[in-house]
Amino acid sequence: MDAQRAGSAVPGLQATTAEPQPLNEMFDAQGRSRPECARVIAYLLALGPGRLAELGERAHRMFRTMGVTFKVYGDHEGGERIFPFDPIPRIIAAPVWAELEAGLIQRARALNAFVADIYAEAQIVRDGVVPRDLIVGSPQFRHAATGILPPGGVYITVAGIDLVRGADSRFHVLEDNVRTPSGVSYVIENRRIMTRLMPELIRGLRVSSVENYPAYLLAALREIAPSGIGDPTVALLTPGPFNSAFFEHVFLSQQMGIELVEGRDLVCVDHKLFMKTVYGLKRVDVLYRRIDDDFLDPVVFRPDSMLGVAGLTAVLRAGNATLANAIGTGVADDKAVYAYTPAMIRYYLGESALLPIVETHLLRDPDVRQTVLRDLDRYVVKPTGASGGYGVVIGPRATDEELAQARKRIEAAPAGFIAQPLFPLSVHPTLTGETVDGKPAMASRHVDLRPFVLLGAKPRVLAGGLTRVALREGSLIVNSSQGGGSKDTWVLEE
Amino acid sequence: MLRRIAGSLFWAARYLERAQWRARLVDVNYHLLLEVPPRDADPWEPLVRITAEHDLFAAKHSHAGETAVIDFFVFDREHRSSIRSCIEAVRANLSPLRHLISSELWLAVNRLYLEVQGWSAQTLAAGGVSNFFTELKRHFFMLEGIVAHTMPRDLTYDVIELGTMLERLDNVSRLLDVKYHYLLPRLEDIGGPADLRQWAAVLRSASAFEAFRRCYGNAIRVNRVVAILVFDPEFPRSMRFCIERAAQALERISVRQESSAPSAAAPCAELLAILGRGDADTTIESGLHEFLIDAERRCAQLADRVFDRYMALE
Repeated sequence: MDAQRAGSAVPGLQATTAEPQPLNEMFDAQGRSRPECARVIAYLLALGPGRLAELGERAHRMFRTMGVTFKVYGDHEGGERIFPFDPIPRIIAAPVWAELEAGLIQRARALNAFVADIYAEAQIVRDGVVPRDLIVGSPQFRHAATGILPPGGVYITVAGIDLVRGADSRFHVLEDNVRTPSGVSYVIENRRIMTRLMPELIRGLRVSSVENYPAYLLAALREIAPSGIGDPTVALLTPGPFNSAFFEHVFLSQQMGIELVEGRDLVCVDHKLFMKTVYGLKRVDVLYRRIDDDFLDPVVFRPDSMLGVAGLTAVLRAGNATLANAIGTGVADDKAVYAYTPAMIRYYLGESALLPIVETHLLRDPDVRQTVLRDLDRYVVKPTGASGGYGVVIGPRATDEELAQARKRIEAAPAGFIAQPLFPLSVHPTLTGETVDGKPAMASRHVDLRPFVLLGAKPRVLAGGLTRVALREGSLIVNSSQGGGSKDTWVLEE
Repeated sequence: MLRRIAGSLFWAARYLERAQWRARLVDVNYHLLLEVPPRDADPWEPLVRITAEHDLFAAKHSHAGETAVIDFFVFDREHRSSIRSCIEAVRANLSPLRHLISSELWLAVNRLYLEVQGWSAQTLAAGGVSNFFTELKRHFFMLEGIVAHTMPRDLTYDVIELGTMLERLDNVSRLLDVKYHYLLPRLEDIGGPADLRQWAAVLRSASAFEAFRRCYGNAIRVNRVVAILVFDPEFPRSMRFCIERAAQALERISVRQESSAPSAAAPCAELLAILGRGDADTTIESGLHEFLIDAERRCAQLADRVFDRYMALE
């Protein structure tokens, strides 16, 4: 097919000219389609933008009919929204994925070793690799986690590691999510939708399945049950229907065939964990929790929490149940600790990091702070404790007033912030939802990737992950809470 | 099954059944009034009395006219038993337990819910009241069919059956009571054409008209209506039928249980006995209204016991 024509026939299927020049994942700088995308591009061109937009609308209707939604915080209607879905798939070639997979497993293992170490001897601190005050000063450090030894030494059962692809086409780690990462249900639902929208394309391409994730997750959870339990009972703990990720909690419990419990369904008796069933109390061996540490156990954490169950920490300490992820794993995904992850990988595994990270400056250091504050408009500033894209200031795009405010916040609590150079997230052709000359328009939009890594008796990685796309032109924020959408991610098999 | 989930399922079943009865009542009353110009000041008034919420109605509407009553019964978000509120409650209760029900049932409930989200007074005006309720009834019958034909006869099904039957018993009783106790209080009207039309409407509300004709003949008399709607062991919307089905569901639930703790069977057995041995003539003679009030009270008591025994968390 004529690549040049492809570039001009469909607006958006071409390299963007924005600064700094990001990588276009479908086309090279000359506008030629990348080899792994050639068949998909040919298919999309044959389909045409009008038909493609129809497929997008059909997908939206299917999500609505199936009730695949997320809740929006602060929405008084208790509003349910559809996570916007773009029908143009994102393609990852087999060799690229093989490298990524190895890097992701390496990273998850190192982060897990770090958490285990921190809540035991903290040898990495004694050896001076990671500064002590960074750990004890971390809002995610939990004293209660010391003395709880999860079976197999698995603290991080589920990790969601956010990757961005640079202009050099390498995937970089943007941040780690090792508390209660969400989004995997969309990966599976997106694929189910795509197999109905473009069945012949998927079949022809040998796309790796994502359908096995719930089985992988259940296997990992069963593997970390307290020893000596032949057939462990696993349950998923949700904060309830008002949580933004409630659909995912329903989805995963349904797919794994386990109970979806709320705190009030649970009770601790004699240092054992039970759920209240129609026919009496039933023992729970592994609890996959989707609520934050602070709400888990009113005896140890926030006393006003109605979401957890009193006595859970004591049950864990007695070794009578396993919590996934373990208490206190957030100490490893702190954005300041992130700067030390390459050193961490070397320290625990004796290997150099397979996945590069984004250059990161810790503003707690006075010299670094001075340098960064001098050119604040060149950096992206992130609060260390927050997630979901909240509180991020993008220097090159911020107003003077926003920069002044950021400066004030940094000076008030320098340890609470990091700064990174603006990373040119790769772009991908995406339906914009607008029309040009009566035809649905396509344009380049920034994307990231959240793959999911599971640690149990052995590591398992879901092929691909959640591709999030910033639907607003030029926007670098892909979070669903901030106007992001998603794409299906196709890892091609050899 | 978690106790909380059993409770959600029980209430989902009740709200679904309740929505259905609200639709039946409004539909039948609407059509009844089309044919005969109303003589009474407020021919819609009795519908409001059927529900236990006429205080809420009075607070919002000064007069029980057609528009006000239909709005209250169908669309009103503040009215917990409006059809809209009931359907939203069904979905909210089923949402966290999608793993227990067939995907067909979830999709059908979600589709109905999405339709309800688009409802407004204009919906009714645009399509016509008749079409609106015909369409709604189709949804309800489809949901019942999906439950009957896709759900295994396990604990989940038994809890749904229990909720449905207790709610139905309560609704049949209220329907009869309103007609008998509140409509046409003047003795000289009894047996007159207006009286007969109203009894026919009651039968239609309960989908009992054809069954009545077949089993009890053409002449509509109050004792025969009471016979089919209260004591008939075979008609699926009679109070006796409901309590028997509820008792069977309860029995299956308690048999599955391994422990030998006492079940919620006592108030159930009493209701079974009352509805099983009674007859229409004696009941009317000794006071139908008192009989129905008593049955409703026992039914509520039974529901409370069931909830405490199998669903309450504390």
